[in-house]
Amino acid sequence: MFEGVLRSVFSAGTFNQMLRSATPVALAALGGAMTEHAGIMNIGMDGMILMGAFFGVLGSYFFGSAAAGVALVLAMGVLVGLFFALFVVKFKSDEFIIGTALNTFALGLTSFLSRSIFGAAGTKGNPALPTVHIPGLDAVPFLGRVLNDNSLFVYVTWALVLIMWLFVYRTPYGFWLRASGEKPETLRTAGIAPERMKWLASVLCGLLCGLAGAHLSLGQLQGTFAEDMANSRGYIAFACVIFSRANPAAAYGAALMFGFFDAIGLRLQDYISSDLTNTIPYVITIVMMVYVVVRSQRKKRRAGKRLPARQT
Amino acid sequence: MKKKRDWGYLGSLCISVLLAFVIGAVILAVAGFSPVKAYAAMASGAFSSARHIGDFLEYAMVLCLTGLACVLGSRVGIFNVGGEGQLLLGAVVGCQVGVWLNGQSPWLAIPAAALAAMAVGAFYALIPGWLKVKVKVNEVITTIMLNTIAASLCQYLAKGPWKNPNKNMVAATAQLDPRYWFKTLIPGSNLSTAIIAAAVVTFLTWYVMQKTSTGYEMKLTGQNPRFAFFSGIKTDRIVLACMCISGAMCGLVGMFRVYGAEHLYRSSVSNQYYFEGLTVAMIARYDPVTVIGLSFLFAILKIGAQGMELSAGVPNQIYLIIQTVVIFCMAAESGVFASLRAGAQRKKARADIRRKEEESHV
Repeated sequence: MFEGVLRSVFSAGTFNQMLRSATPVALAALGGAMTEHAGIMNIGMDGMILMGAFFGVLGSYFFGSAAAGVALVLAMGVLVGLFFALFVVKFKSDEFIIGTALNTFALGLTSFLSRSIFGAAGTKGNPALPTVHIPGLDAVPFLGRVLNDNSLFVYVTWALVLIMWLFVYRTPYGFWLRASGEKPETLRTAGIAPERMKWLASVLCGLLCGLAGAHLSLGQLQGTFAEDMANSRGYIAFACVIFSRANPAAAYGAALMFGFFDAIGLRLQDYISSDLTNTIPYVITIVMMVYVVVRSQRKKRRAGKRLPARQT
Repeated sequence: MKKKRDWGYLGSLCISVLLAFVIGAVILAVAGFSPVKAYAAMASGAFSSARHIGDFLEYAMVLCLTGLACVLGSRVGIFNVGGEGQLLLGAVVGCQVGVWLNGQSPWLAIPAAALAAMAVGAFYALIPGWLKVKVKVNEVITTIMLNTIAASLCQYLAKGPWKNPNKNMVAATAQLDPRYWFKTLIPGSNLSTAIIAAAVVTFLTWYVMQKTSTGYEMKLTGQNPRFAFFSGIKTDRIVLACMCISGAMCGLVGMFRVYGAEHLYRSSVSNQYYFEGLTVAMIARYDPVTVIGLSFLFAILKIGAQGMELSAGVPNQIYLIIQTVVIFCMAAESGVFASLRAGAQRKKARADIRRKEEESHV
């Protein structure tokens, strides 16, 4: 039996599931990396994802095409990002309060609208995003089954990881973005308002979290919306951002790790109660957080030991 | 000075609540409901019968205790966002203790259940508290993860080992002996004698926070941990103790919900109630007395919204929207005022400079 468990856990299906589970978290984490670089503690990603999931389905429902849904999500993402920045950057409100309020607001608004428009707590079977078939990839034995025939946004995410990495580390805007979080006054002396970069980061975060939600509802679940479907993914994405120190590529890696444990949980459901296996990714997130903090503290301590030696 | 600020707060609160209702009306109108009819249904939903008044008092109790639990944490600078998990675990364990002690005197079973619920809640809050104090891990993320874990764990216990013997009950524990139920104060409603115990807990929390030297040490720890530490306050211990008490209160709320209203554990024991209490605490700016007052206001809204859903067919989630819009309005008001004040100061400073320049020219 044990061998059977292992074989089912380390099958191509598990790694394919890993890729699927990781994608919404990774998209949100890319957005979170932007606000993190700009020095904003963004707790509100969960609400942003939920809004994206709902408005994606809404657009798809009204206009009969998933592309229209994504377009609506992008528009809403900009709005949500501007809204968040208005409070956090312009009004200098407490980030924690605004983030939490945004999450509750998103939960209330999407549930309310879902019940008034669809007449039920959720909806399904709306036009969904296509899956992508790469011809010839099937010939590769293991990778073919993992990488081929996924929802469109799985591949879009790869491109976005590269784009965001280049943006953050290879463009002047990315440089200013990082400076706006680390040394805002220096940036101001250089003639660029750090507030403007924070607005930009917030809008980018709204966009990317919206895409994460759209992938969740239109891609992964084929045009389904359910109440509270973000299911704490925004917080896991936040943990991924901290884990990766806001590096987009590393954040994708962290999201893959989350996806891996999520997939293992789904596999183990055949053997253990699904209520217990559902907790695995969340337990791993806590362990990850503790590990990151302990590691950075150890590094700091080591650096502290080195300092006096350099002085002599 | 202090009084003046309080009036300012009260004013901005009133304006925010009014604005929130206006924005709520706009959303209702956009969604195709008549705002006037909806609000009328809401008002009648909260006060139309004794039963609804009882329900609203019970919900005010839940909001007040969870809100105070949140205040307790924030007072010492730690945000207990994990109250939902502590509440659920307290409910399931408290209920199961009652099931195990079946046949014993209620004088033994009820205190034992309350103690067990508080112990579980306190322990579950101690995990993120310890991680925050000793390892410096962000408590917001850990507590939220622990919420999800607790919800799944309770679901597992209610479906598996502690399942109701009746096969038709899918995810619920066995029902409590009616001798253990808290006496219902208003027939048909959820209001039970638990509210008396809740009032005692509320008073004690307020008293310790506002009137004792411990409360002062807590305030100091939250405002300036370094200063507090160097004045000889054992800050780590205070933070951990507050986190534990906060968790214990949440566990107790869960036990009250089971023994007062549900009489067994199922997931309807709490539907994100802690987050609503947390919102109340935020709107009250973590002031205990304001939390008590506001929990009545928002309990009326919540029960009214449920009545509105039944009579006018408007989804009750409009309640969540109104509640959070209050927060946004208050944040916007203080932001606008701050920028106006800053603008006025800048103007004054500029005028001062100009005057000085003119004087020096003379």
